[in-house]
Amino acid sequence: MSAGESGKWLGGALPANVRVGMNSVIIGDLAFKRFHSRQPEALCVGANCTMDGVHFDLGDAAQLTIGDYCYFTNAVLLCELEVRIGSYVVVGWNTTIADSDFHPLAPAQRVADAIACSPLGKGRTRPPVVKQPVVIEDDVWIGPNAAILKGVRVGAGAWIEAGSVVTRDVPPGARVLGNPAQIVGEAK
Amino acid sequence: MSLPARTLPWDWHEGVIPRNAKIDSTAYVETSFSFRFFRSELDDAIEYGRGASTYLGTMFDVGPRGRVRLGDYALVHGARIICDSEITIGEYALISWNVVLMDTYRLPANASERRRELERVPGRDPRIASGDVVARPVRVERNVWIGFDACILPGVTVGEGSVVGARSVVMTDVPPFTIVAGNPARIIRPMSQQEMNGANAQ
Repeated sequence: MSAGESGKWLGGALPANVRVGMNSVIIGDLAFKRFHSRQPEALCVGANCTMDGVHFDLGDAAQLTIGDYCYFTNAVLLCELEVRIGSYVVVGWNTTIADSDFHPLAPAQRVADAIACSPLGKGRTRPPVVKQPVVIEDDVWIGPNAAILKGVRVGAGAWIEAGSVVTRDVPPGARVLGNPAQIVGEAK
Repeated sequence: MSLPARTLPWDWHEGVIPRNAKIDSTAYVETSFSFRFFRSELDDAIEYGRGASTYLGTMFDVGPRGRVRLGDYALVHGARIICDSEITIGEYALISWNVVLMDTYRLPANASERRRELERVPGRDPRIASGDVVARPVRVERNVWIGFDACILPGVTVGEGSVVGARSVVMTDVPPFTIVAGNPARIIRPMSQQEMNGANAQ
């Protein structure tokens, strides 16, 4: 790819509301299989990024931004509201980042949601679901098989060990691991 | 002995098995897709023993100096093998889906060194992040059973006959004939005499 050319998706033409920066590449036929956002600039990927096998699963009102020089392999990005990812962020294989709980907590509301989501639910409004933005700052490394859940802010330079389930904010420069993820030291 | 690169008659993916993968005639490779990130330059980069098999989803993400061994009858049902030094899977090992076996973190732990490496990635084909990071061999000994979604981290040896529970993250060596689980993984118990004898199978 020559300099000056904007980024592209090897699977076809990008949706109109996706902006991909110079020299960035999105690889994988399923990248936009569950892309439903109607925001004018739903997905913005910066320059020099590699998005290999990433699923951009964006709901109606979702907004996802990714900085420069990011390297994601087979990540699943589940966004209903807002996910903001900085520059030089690495996301490992089979890792999930989600900004919502997908379904309500209250049992009766989940019944209503199951009906609304079913083949018989055409036109029914789904009950509200908890959504909280996820922010991942610059220079964060996230290992394979990890999960970053709603409302979490991962501070700059943090190291998220493979398999971690991150449910709370991670301070800048911290190293976390486990389920739920705990701070075990500093990233080098 | 190295063979020419070859295709698999049953393959859905239009790829080849690399010439430096030595696959026993009784072994089974479900798809050449598993070799999409394989770039080892060693003559004996991959070896499948008798009756060893790798199924859909297994991915050999193997760097230029990486070497992977699958013992006789080893069954790998969809693991990501991230290897820059050596990953050994023993005879009769059973490895489940979405398991990660990694002997390297691939990228430096230091953020500014990591930036320098990430700046090189867009110039590569295929785009692989592969910095100058120390790799520590991983050994999964014979008869080990690893549950789905588990991660085995660099330098770890899982001893003979042990069982690693689903979703475990194994950061330290596992003794032989031991059950471990959790994230981070802990020893649950050594296998009892009854478990060793299979008395619960009746």
